Amino acid sequence: MPDPGARRAGRTPTIFAMGGGGFTMEPGNPALDDYIRSLAPAREPKVCLLPTAGGDSEDQIRRFHAAFDDQLCVATHISLFRLGTRPVPLREHLLGQDVIYVGGGSMINLLALWRAHGFDAILREAWQAGIVLAGLSAGSMCWFEWGVTRSIGRPVPARGLGFLPGSNSVHYDGERERRPVYLEAVAHGDVPPGWGVDDGAGLLFRGTRLAEVVASRPRARAHRVHAVAGEAVEEVIEPRLLKARPHTDPRAPLAVQEMRDLRAARRGHRRG
Amino acid sequence: MEAGNPLLDDYVLGVAAAAGARERPKVCFLPTASGDADHYVVRFYRHFPASRCESSHVSLFRRDCGTDDLRAHLLDQDLVYVGGGSVICLMGVLRAHGLDVALREAWEAGVVLCGLSAGSLCWFSEAMTGYHGASRPVAGIGLIPASNAVHYDKEPHRRPAYHAAVAGGMPGGYAVEDGAALHFAGEDLARVVSSRPGARAYRVDAVSGEAVELSLATDYLGATPAEEAVLAA
Repeated sequence: MPDPGARRAGRTPTIFAMGGGGFTMEPGNPALDDYIRSLAPAREPKVCLLPTAGGDSEDQIRRFHAAFDDQLCVATHISLFRLGTRPVPLREHLLGQDVIYVGGGSMINLLALWRAHGFDAILREAWQAGIVLAGLSAGSMCWFEWGVTRSIGRPVPARGLGFLPGSNSVHYDGERERRPVYLEAVAHGDVPPGWGVDDGAGLLFRGTRLAEVVASRPRARAHRVHAVAGEAVEEVIEPRLLKARPHTDPRAPLAVQEMRDLRAARRGHRRG
Repeated sequence: MEAGNPLLDDYVLGVAAAAGARERPKVCFLPTASGDADHYVVRFYRHFPASRCESSHVSLFRRDCGTDDLRAHLLDQDLVYVGGGSVICLMGVLRAHGLDVALREAWEAGVVLCGLSAGSLCWFSEAMTGYHGASRPVAGIGLIPASNAVHYDKEPHRRPAYHAAVAGGMPGGYAVEDGAALHFAGEDLARVVSSRPGARAYRVDAVSGEAVELSLATDYLGATPAEEAVLAA
């Protein structure tokens, strides 16, 4: 069988890390989710949700399918808690995606569950093959060397997978307790310099280089945080404000379905 | 927490009440193996109501809104009840929060530990788990130095898979059907009980490279005293 990652050879490793936002946090504003889909070159991208950090919450899975099923993409999810009853060939499925979208929740549980299933290695392979890795909150911090998590109650620094150098703190404007812990950790050198990201803002990395900062809301910002003479310094990065999707055409889902039918018919014709 | 059948819940509450010398034992539910599914937590409180016990639960996915000192909370219980789900996920999350150590401490301090499915497998040194259709061994907390297989009657492939694993070097252990339960005092099996008349448990060991299975004497908890007399005769 050909390596499922091989067809993407030559694509730049891409990570989109959101401070908060997308279908779970901004149900009325699909700007960040549209942006994520646009990062995949495929016309009908395969998008797989990993709801691991939320304990595979039915609610998160339902919202994902509500947001993505009517779009021009193939939306699936992997529930690690239900592999016993709903088995999925994990590596094959993940390496066949265009986008892997990681939901929020407990960062410590996310990483423990991924390691228990060998996902850390599979996701690195996926990243190197150019599959877009996207996520919010725990699903953002996991890609960096360090994050600031509330997985054990009070906010504390926690190690991530380290695909991206540096640190990340999320919900920067939305949670009062997390920011001071992050600033102190950077100031003391407990975590490397990095980025604090507001709800509604996201960092696009091509390779390990920050390529673009975008936002779904006018006031959402990202902040470059580093230590100068033992003090944390924050520099605001103004994001590019994404255009809101024009008022949804009620006929759009039908158009998507028609295009799928047409493609299926063509495929069938070719096979016949 | 079998629908309409409280026999095993009643039994374990009795054991916990005796262990804690309390009429209303303190019971904490860990729904970790299900990913802290809301409906499971609700079911726990329905089966373990405040009228019978002092119940609580710990969500390891939402620790930002729970008790700070998990170890102290667990050590303060008479009974810790671990729910079913994925044993691989359960062990991964328990270890990430240091609860494998805290639960061992609780056990050594005399807190009664119980659970079903993944919540049974986790107490043993090795767990047989149905995974991607095929079974494979997973390391548990290891309080009981034996292996464990659950839902033994549920799918036909479980018995041959467990036998093959034990014959192939997995420590011998206990295979348990739905509705049957093993009651250990320390590391020793004290009693096998069941909530269904036909439910059985088995000891499986390797003898010269072959798995040998022994059926264990099981007390059906639903028998009336008269029936018990007949059964004993």
